[in-house]
Formats: sequence, C-alpha cells, structure tokens
Amino acid sequence: MEISPGDIGLVARVTQLTKSYGGGSTMVTALDDVSVGIRRGQFTAIMGPSGSGKSTLMHIMAGLDASTSGRVWIGDTEITSLGDTELTKLRRRRVGFVFQSFNLVPTLDVEGNILLPFELDGRVPTAEERVWIDHLIDTLGLRPRLRHRPHELSGGQQQRVAIVRALGSRPDLVFADEPTGNLDSRTGREVLTLLATAASAYGQSIAMVTHDPVAASFAERIVFLADGRIVEDRGRSTAAEISQFMLGMEGVL
Amino acid sequence: MREHAPSILVATLSAAFGVSLLQVTGALATMISSAPGMSESGMVAFMLSLVGGVFIVIAVYVGAIVTANTFATIIAGRTRTIALMRLIGATASSQRRAVAREGLLVGVAGSVLGFVVGTAVTFALISLAVATDFVPDLAYGYLPPVIALPLLAVVLTTWLASWIGSRRVLDVSPIQATGGAQEMRHEVVAGRRGRNATAITLIAIGLGLLALGIVAGFATPLGVLPGLVGGILSFSGLVLGAPFFLPPALRLVGKALGRGAASRLAAENAMRYPERSSRTMIGLVIGVTLVTTFAVAAGSYQEILTQARLAEPEVYAGTEQLVTVTVGVFSALLGFSALIAAVGMVNNLSLSVLQRTRELGLLRALGFTNSQLRVMVVAESAQLTVAAVLVGLALGTFYGWAGAQSLLGSMYGGPGLIVPVLPLWLIGTVVAAAALLTVAASITPTRRATRISPVVASAVD
Repeated sequence: MEISPGDIGLVARVTQLTKSYGGGSTMVTALDDVSVGIRRGQFTAIMGPSGSGKSTLMHIMAGLDASTSGRVWIGDTEITSLGDTELTKLRRRRVGFVFQSFNLVPTLDVEGNILLPFELDGRVPTAEERVWIDHLIDTLGLRPRLRHRPHELSGGQQQRVAIVRALGSRPDLVFADEPTGNLDSRTGREVLTLLATAASAYGQSIAMVTHDPVAASFAERIVFLADGRIVEDRGRSTAAEISQFMLGMEGVL
Repeated sequence: MREHAPSILVATLSAAFGVSLLQVTGALATMISSAPGMSESGMVAFMLSLVGGVFIVIAVYVGAIVTANTFATIIAGRTRTIALMRLIGATASSQRRAVAREGLLVGVAGSVLGFVVGTAVTFALISLAVATDFVPDLAYGYLPPVIALPLLAVVLTTWLASWIGSRRVLDVSPIQATGGAQEMRHEVVAGRRGRNATAITLIAIGLGLLALGIVAGFATPLGVLPGLVGGILSFSGLVLGAPFFLPPALRLVGKALGRGAASRLAAENAMRYPERSSRTMIGLVIGVTLVTTFAVAAGSYQEILTQARLAEPEVYAGTEQLVTVTVGVFSALLGFSALIAAVGMVNNLSLSVLQRTRELGLLRALGFTNSQLRVMVVAESAQLTVAAVLVGLALGTFYGWAGAQSLLGSMYGGPGLIVPVLPLWLIGTVVAAAALLTVAASITPTRRATRISPVVASAVD
C-alpha cells in the first residue's frame, strides 16, 4: 500500500520524473530521474541556472506539460494519466498561476481577470469566497483599479492582480514562474513579500521558479536544480548564502 | 509563397469573374441579335454591354480591396521580419518595393489562372445551357479581344493594391524587432482625423453622385454612369473608414452573443483591434453588399420589366426568357464575390489566432478547456460574420436600388420610381452561406488554437 502524498504533508509530488525532447543523437534530457515533494503551506523556491530544468519541472508539476516517465501528484490526485480536459479542470480548480509577464487577459478589466477562473468554471464565487477575494483586493490596494484594463496598470499592479487571481480560488498550490523577472527591484520585493505573507499568514502553498538569489531568499525552502537533477535542498537562506552556493556550483561543475 | 496563396486566389477569382462575365455577355449579345422579333434588340444589347462593363469594374474593384487587405494582413504578420531587416540596414522604401514586386507577381499569376478558370466556367455554363435547351445552339465566341482588359486590370490593380496595402511597412521601426508588434486600439483609430475626413468626404461626394444618377436615370439609362462612380466613391469611403464604422456594428452583435466566459471573451476579442477585425469583416461586407446589390438590382429589373410588359405588351413580347436567363447568369456570378469574401475572412481569422498564441496559452493554463477555446473562436467568427452580413444587406439593398433606378428609371413603359425588391431566396441564401462560412472560417483557427500548449503562457520573449 502506497503512502498518499497528503498523509506526509505534501501538496504536490513527483517521483522518478524524466523529461526528454527529441530522439536519437539529438535527444535532450531536461529532467533526469527527479523526485521531490512540495510541502503544504510552505513557500518553496525552485532555483537553478538557465537550462537547469526548473521551468520544465514546474510545467509538469502544474499539469501544463506531460512527462516522459515518472509519476506526478497534486494533492492526492495522480495527474500522470489524466486526459487534457480533466487536467484543465484540475488546473482551473486546484492550481493558481503567476507568470513573469503576460499574466492577464488583455481584453478583460481587473475584476474580470480576477474572477476568470470562476467564470471558466461556469459559476460565481460563493459568499465566503467573495469575502476572501474582497479582502485580497483591499489588502493589495486594487479596489480603485477594478475597472481598469491591464495596459493601464504598472508592472507591479499587474502582478498583484495575477496574485489575487491565483489566491482567489484558494488553490492547493500556486505556481509562480519568475514572478519578479519584469519588475524593478523595489516593486519586486513588494511582490515577494506578498507571496511570503500568503504562505505564512494564510497557509497558501507556493512553488516559485526563479534564478534570482534575492527572490529565493524570501522562501522557506530552496531546491536547487542543475542539468536536470536536484543538487541541493535547503531551508531558509540569505541572498548572500544562495549566491555563494550557486557560484560554488558553477565552479565545481 | 504560401502566404500569397489567398492573394493569388483572389486575383484568380477577379480575373475569372471578368473574363467569364465578358464571355457570357458576348454570348448573350449573340443570342439576342439572332432572336427574331426583338424590336428593341439594339437597345437591349447596348444595355447588356453597359451592365457587363459595370460588373467588371465592380469585380476588379472588389478584388483590389480584398487584395489590399490581404497584403495589409500579411505585413502585420511580417512586422518582426521587416523590423529585423530595417535593424540591419534595409530602407523602408526598399522593403516596400519588395512587397510590391510580390504583388505584381501575384497579379500576373492570378490573371493567367483566372483566364483559364473563367473560360472553363463559361464553357461549362453555356454547354450546360445548350444541352438543356435553355438557350439556342449558336456559334458563341470565347475569345473576344476585350477579355484582355480585365486581365490587364487585375495585374495592375493587384500591383497597386499590394503597394497600398504595404504602406504599413513604412511604420515599422527597427526597435520592433525586439518586441511584439501592437496594432492600434479603437480610440486611436477614431482620432485619426485625416483619414476619417477623407472617408466622410468620399461618402458625401459619392452620395451626391448617386443622387444625380438617380435623378438623371429618369431621363436616360446613362444615369447609371454617375451612379456607378458615386457608388464606388461612397463605398471606398466606407471601406477607408471601416475601422471607424464597423466596430459599433460589431459591438451591437457582440452584445447579442450571450453570456459565459467563452462568448464574452470572443466579443471582447472582436472589438480589441478594430483595424484587424475591420480587415476581417470588410471582405465579407463587400461580398454580401455585392450579392445583395446584384439581387436587388435584378429583382427590381424583373419587377420593372413585368410592369412595362403589362403597360406595353407589344414592345416587350418575348422578354420573359431573357429576364430568366439574365437573373440566372447574375445569380451564378454572385458566387464569385462570395468566394472572394470567404478567402479574405478565413485568412484573417487564422492570422488573428496565430498572433494570439501567448494569450490562448494563458487561457489554457488558467483552465480554459479545448472545447471552451473552440466555442470562443466559433463565437468570434459568428460575431464577425453576422455583423458583416447585416451591414452588407443594408448597403446592398441601397446600392442595388440606386443602380436599378438610375439604369432603368427611364425605361419605356416602366413605372418611373422603383420600389427596392429584396428577394426572399437572397435572404435565405445569405443566412445559410453566413452560417456555413462561420463554421468554415473557424476550422483552421480552432485547430491551431487547440494545438497550443499551455506551456507557452510562461514563455519569455
């Protein structure tokens, strides 16, 4: 009998995950036998240089991409064998996304973007969910912006809208892919603080992909990837320690 | 080469249209001059060649507008490449000349193909008509020298259209090589006073000439000439100002589309880039306007002849068959403009989906299922089609009536003032064709859209 991921406090898990592209002599292995779990209620950073496989890992964990071999769970649901429609519905209900850029649907205003996951599901938020969303909107100062279109917002405001949308449906897990990559450092810190608070104050599980040591220093746990393998898994660290480790990693490899 | 397939198809259709029309008109003239007891045959033959000339001008004009729009669409899709060429030192005018050269080649290819297709169609039509004893078996000539005119016109207008359609090349800045290209929003478009003023002036002058044609039409069939110029001018004004005039029609239809994420997004999408949606719509507007114009003119023509026959039975004896043949020929020729419109529509909708890969990926990541995506694209296509059909029906009814009035108002024994006749078969056909086109136009884009992986949402430029 297998232990289900939920029993051991994991909100997402992959085992012996391999992903390769192409075939024959041109085959590229993006992920090579990776096994890792994301803990419930924690802010986890997935770090690594370009081409380390960190984005691929996130895509597969979030059900955006299929693995070559290995197994993937979100909560207690194994998603490895799910069809496209089931996967889509699972993303809609149980996963939130914050991307580096192009997070928002350009034709919808702020409120429309925030409520999009509910609308896609063909329902309106329950009274309880509405209270939660209103709370998020007020906390992030988006109340006066509800009728604005994405192109009328600054980069930081756009990221905040994306965060409200990602947190709004209280998903099992929020995936953030380089969420500060397009922001200046002050706005970037604000966004990171928001994500850290969502984990510490609301118990939201968050997995963030980044190559920026400062961004990773906001996380409670940092998983390092290089050449498609996990090379380090450590707790909260300062930006200096993270940079040190990465420099060492480059030097050794 | 592949991106020019729609333009070559359009040029082919225009050339085939012109060639076939001239051949059929020639055959009709042969038929009439050989028919006994046609006291007015000299007059009828003259009117026929006049009408034929009018149709060819219209066909070439439609082809030119669709081609100019197709080229503008191609340029929009090529912005990145053009910007890169500019970045490494190409001048804007050399880039534009290169596009125009492609236009010339497209025109020549379309002209040659159109000649072959048009002659084949005419031959098939006449053989069928002769075989079914619908028309007498006479020695019809298939190669009157005048068919060189539409062929030449297609080459020249395609060349010109590619030149006009490529003016956007001049707006491409080298810096765009580094980022995604943006099209103008409605507010910006509404603010372009120069272009809108030109459009309004053209419409005003055109309407004036149409009025003149209608008034002159009471005295002479030559009233159709100022009417034709007026029609072309006012319609050019409408086409020029389309990004300004069409979106409101689109908005009205969008509101009627219904609720749900997919329909709502579709309505927003259709409205977001008025230039692009106008380009997509204008082909269909032209097609439907043309079909309606022909049908209303033919319907009115039939009506007038019926009334004239009642008033002067001796003069118009034996015209019944002529009317049937003429309306049949008109209806067959309508198919061409509908085809031209369909090509433009399919091409533009595909392109608009292609240019939104990133956004569709985001929707997929956030939980849009493939079937919701499909509903969205079909709803978008339906919105464009319905709006274009409504606008086209309204415009066509007006132009058709104005044409019939200015050409036939002076007809001997006719009623003078004509009531526009909008045939029921036309409304049925247009609605059915629009439904078919909605589905057809969304097949390729949906296939493309549903093949987009949600992973592209997180891709970095």
